[in-house]
Amino acid sequence: MSNLELGPIMRALLRNKVGAMLIALQIAVTMTIIVNAVFIIVERKSMMERESGLDEANTFYLTTTGFGNDFESKRVTREDLDLIRSTPGVVDAIQVNAIPMSGSGWSMGLTTTPGDEVESVGTANYMVDDHALNTYDAALVAGENFSFSDIRFRERNQSDWPDVAIITQALAKSLFPELSVDEVVGKTVYIGDNEPMIVKGIIDKLQAPWVGWNNLDHVTLTPEWMAFPSMRYLIRTEPGMRDTLMTSLEQTLANQYPNRIIRNVETITSTRDASYRQHSAMIKILTVTMVLLTLITALGIIGLASFNVNRRRKQIGTRRALGASKSAIIRYFMVENLIISLFGIVLGVGLTIGLNFMLIEWFAVKALDWYYIPAGVVLLFNVGQLAAFGPAFRAAKISPALATRTI
Amino acid sequence: MLKMNNLCKSFRTELVETHALRNFTFSVEEGDFVSVTGPSGSGKTTFLNIAGLLENHTSGSYLLDGIDVQTLSDKQRSNLRNEKIGFIFQSFNLIPDLDLFDNVDVPLRYRGLSRSERHQRIKESLERVGLANRMKHLPSQLSGGQQQRVAIARALAGKPRFLLADEPTGNLDSQMAKSVMSLLQEINQQGTTIVMVTHDPELAMQTSRNVFVRDGQISEAETILPLAAASNQ
Amino acid sequence: MFIYYMKLAIKSIRRNIWLSSLMVLAVALGIGACMTTITVNYMMSANPIPHKSDQLFYVQLDNWGPHFPFNDENEPPDQVTWRDANNLMQHDRFKQVAMGTSGGVIESDNREIKPFMAGIRLTYTTFFNLFEPPFLYGGPWQPTADKNSEQVVVLSKKTNQQVFGGENSVGRTLTIAGNRFRVVGVLDDYEPIPRFYDVTTGAFQSPEDVFMPLTLKLPLELGSSGNNSCWKDPDGDGFEGFLMSECINYQFWVQLDNAAEQEQYMSFLNAYVEEQKALGRFPRPLNNRISSVMEWMEIQEVVADDAQIMMWLAALFLLVCLLNTVGLLLSKYATRTADIALRRAIGAPKQAIFSQYITESALIGIIGGVLGLVLALAGIEAVKSMYGDFVSEHVAIDLTMVTVAIALAVISSVLAGCYPAYKACSVPPATQLRNQ
Repeated sequence: MSNLELGPIMRALLRNKVGAMLIALQIAVTMTIIVNAVFIIVERKSMMERESGLDEANTFYLTTTGFGNDFESKRVTREDLDLIRSTPGVVDAIQVNAIPMSGSGWSMGLTTTPGDEVESVGTANYMVDDHALNTYDAALVAGENFSFSDIRFRERNQSDWPDVAIITQALAKSLFPELSVDEVVGKTVYIGDNEPMIVKGIIDKLQAPWVGWNNLDHVTLTPEWMAFPSMRYLIRTEPGMRDTLMTSLEQTLANQYPNRIIRNVETITSTRDASYRQHSAMIKILTVTMVLLTLITALGIIGLASFNVNRRRKQIGTRRALGASKSAIIRYFMVENLIISLFGIVLGVGLTIGLNFMLIEWFAVKALDWYYIPAGVVLLFNVGQLAAFGPAFRAAKISPALATRTI
Repeated sequence: MLKMNNLCKSFRTELVETHALRNFTFSVEEGDFVSVTGPSGSGKTTFLNIAGLLENHTSGSYLLDGIDVQTLSDKQRSNLRNEKIGFIFQSFNLIPDLDLFDNVDVPLRYRGLSRSERHQRIKESLERVGLANRMKHLPSQLSGGQQQRVAIARALAGKPRFLLADEPTGNLDSQMAKSVMSLLQEINQQGTTIVMVTHDPELAMQTSRNVFVRDGQISEAETILPLAAASNQ
Repeated sequence: MFIYYMKLAIKSIRRNIWLSSLMVLAVALGIGACMTTITVNYMMSANPIPHKSDQLFYVQLDNWGPHFPFNDENEPPDQVTWRDANNLMQHDRFKQVAMGTSGGVIESDNREIKPFMAGIRLTYTTFFNLFEPPFLYGGPWQPTADKNSEQVVVLSKKTNQQVFGGENSVGRTLTIAGNRFRVVGVLDDYEPIPRFYDVTTGAFQSPEDVFMPLTLKLPLELGSSGNNSCWKDPDGDGFEGFLMSECINYQFWVQLDNAAEQEQYMSFLNAYVEEQKALGRFPRPLNNRISSVMEWMEIQEVVADDAQIMMWLAALFLLVCLLNTVGLLLSKYATRTADIALRRAIGAPKQAIFSQYITESALIGIIGGVLGLVLALAGIEAVKSMYGDFVSEHVAIDLTMVTVAIALAVISSVLAGCYPAYKACSVPPATQLRNQ
């Protein structure tokens, strides 16, 4: 222990507070930023990794908008679906009102008892037919799929709901926390306060259109086609067929009727990218910030340590003359850096938690998991030691003969 | 104690090769108090650096206490310096950020002595130079003479067999120089071998033996200096 | 004297080029990061209509259900119902405007132009008086057009380009959502940032392609887009039933020129709601609200959290860079004690030494600032490419930002230089002339 010279180094540092304080502060603020940034990055990453439930790589969608007063949306829907489903390479397809992760859609509140006194559970609503499960790549965990006879046409201004619905497992759990999925099948839920629907089936996973929504996994499927002039088709293809089918189907559908526009032909992949773009940008920006910051801090440590070495050349020579080996000199500077880092890091732990509190207070940031703190501590210690090593190594090269040199 | 035989030291720059020491043959016996004099540039400091293991020589041999130092590693040389040699520098070389206690402590730390042992030695040696009551002072709060006494205390604390002094009074006024010199003599009396480099013939006369260096070579004509003996009586 | 200090500073910077570069780089990175994020925030929090943002007020009425508020903390709904929008618009002594969005296919009479989907803003002619979009051709429709649900339309510049090749199309006709419309006006470039008049579907969108009377919605059965929220199901059936429901889908603004008018309007609103309560609507306690443009932007949190977080992190980043600079300056000046002592010995007052060293800090700040500005430009390009949306397309560094960047750089590096310069000028004269 006495070899580490902790006491003398501490006392010498206290007599040169400013330089040491600057480094300590720098380390503290760097740690504050890095730990919080890493936390935000990890949070965003895990947010982006949530599964939509779709066969994302092989699914795309398009919007068709009919115009003119003679546009027969019901006939077109039936014929389009027949045409798309019979196209080679298509696994399955549905007409639907909204697309997972796309940012726009329809949501309703569900309750387990009728009336507006009970707080409802929010859910996204997808209007689909019996091909939905296959198109969504969703597995039935309880109950059964819609039958063809369940499906009705929803007119443009119709506001009532079908008698049956399929819901996601997550929604079932939120509605009936104490029941198993099998028990939820057959239960009645109320949509818009008092319109009853019977849960016909429960699927494993499907996401709502809004990636920032708390109820992302709450989805209700209702068996209906929409007799609207504007509608979407969601199409799942065989692996590798997506891009070819995107162009060919757009052409085929456009040629089918002159009085319509095919637009927004998008893949689920690009929809996901667009919806999470803000987050992936944040991740990139924070990563660059962290790297630059670490670099600046390391360079700062190197700069100040080099300066300290230069200032103490004579002293180092004397120490060597008095019997310090090269490794003792290196150790001296490393321990000095360790002590400064320690102060910086202790302060940094406080600041990190402080900043996290402020971010929680002002923005939608969650509380830091405890293990980020020790990880930050280890990281900053290592940055400090790595940065200090160069100057320390150069200090060790100072010749002991410097001690006898005047000036 | 110290034996140099045909020792050479040359410095090579891009243009010239300078011979700082040439065929330097010299020895010091246990208990000697040797002064080394010579004009500036004569090689005194180079001699001191080699004798103190601060530098390597180019050729020839140097035995310190029977050990051939040429073959030693840096670590071994450092240990040897630490254990056997005490240094006293012209400009004291105290560490400005450390108080007297910590300054004297420096070589003891490198020896890895226990805490209590170090404390005792620091106290003893500071007492010996009459500065025990100023342990917590910084070097800058002391006069030059006091600083040099601290440096001597630092050298003594390691209980070296061999003390190397480089113009120990060079930065001091005559009054202070005198007291430092008598301290060195006292230390020598108690059995420590001292080699002192100086350009001051008056100081040299107070030692038991004087060697004169010129152009990197020794001319040991005038060795006996009766004054030293006289002052010791 | 200043020129002399400048010369000394340049010399000193060149003498220690590695250290100086490190300082310049630190300042530049800090400034670059700060400026990039400040610019994004500055754009997001821009006042889209500075000359009358204090006179325009967004209107909120609390028609929500009896048991739960629209939003926590008893926030009133962020839009109004069709019914309330229409009722309030009857009172034309106030400068009010109601609006909503729709979409439809535009067909040109020229068959060669492919039909395309257009965003429609349904509103009143007062929209053009309140928000003052610039007209290229023609002007707003007449108030009678609102009353009589006339099929008139104001086109955006882009739409006019698409349909009429950019010609003055006033008086010409086109088909929108299956109906014939007569063009009364064409807007010039109009891109308020944020698009404050309707932020319910995001604050950074372009204005719609066409503007037409809101009173056409019912007769033409124009569909609704945007956010449509209901606390209970419509009582009636069909298109009209849905319109007359408690579903909110419309935005409502009023221009109030002074405090007296604001007060007057609030009591008018309260009286209106009381009247509706008597009819069995508005089950919640009175909770009407008017908010000026910037207040409304604040309430709607138009500036993204991420942008703000990044700005604060960038400020901390700059702090680290400055601490770094202070440390390095300190080191650098400490190697100059001999020089300082000599200058002091030959008669330089403390203040002269201080000036000399603070000049050097400022010079580093200026170089760092300029470099930082370049980095900020690169940073903004990076932000643009990463976000690739409406926001980023309108992020640009203007003269204000350039001034801010340089000022920030100089101020922060002079601040950073103060302590080191103070330390430098505290070196006592002469003592350093001796060795060591």
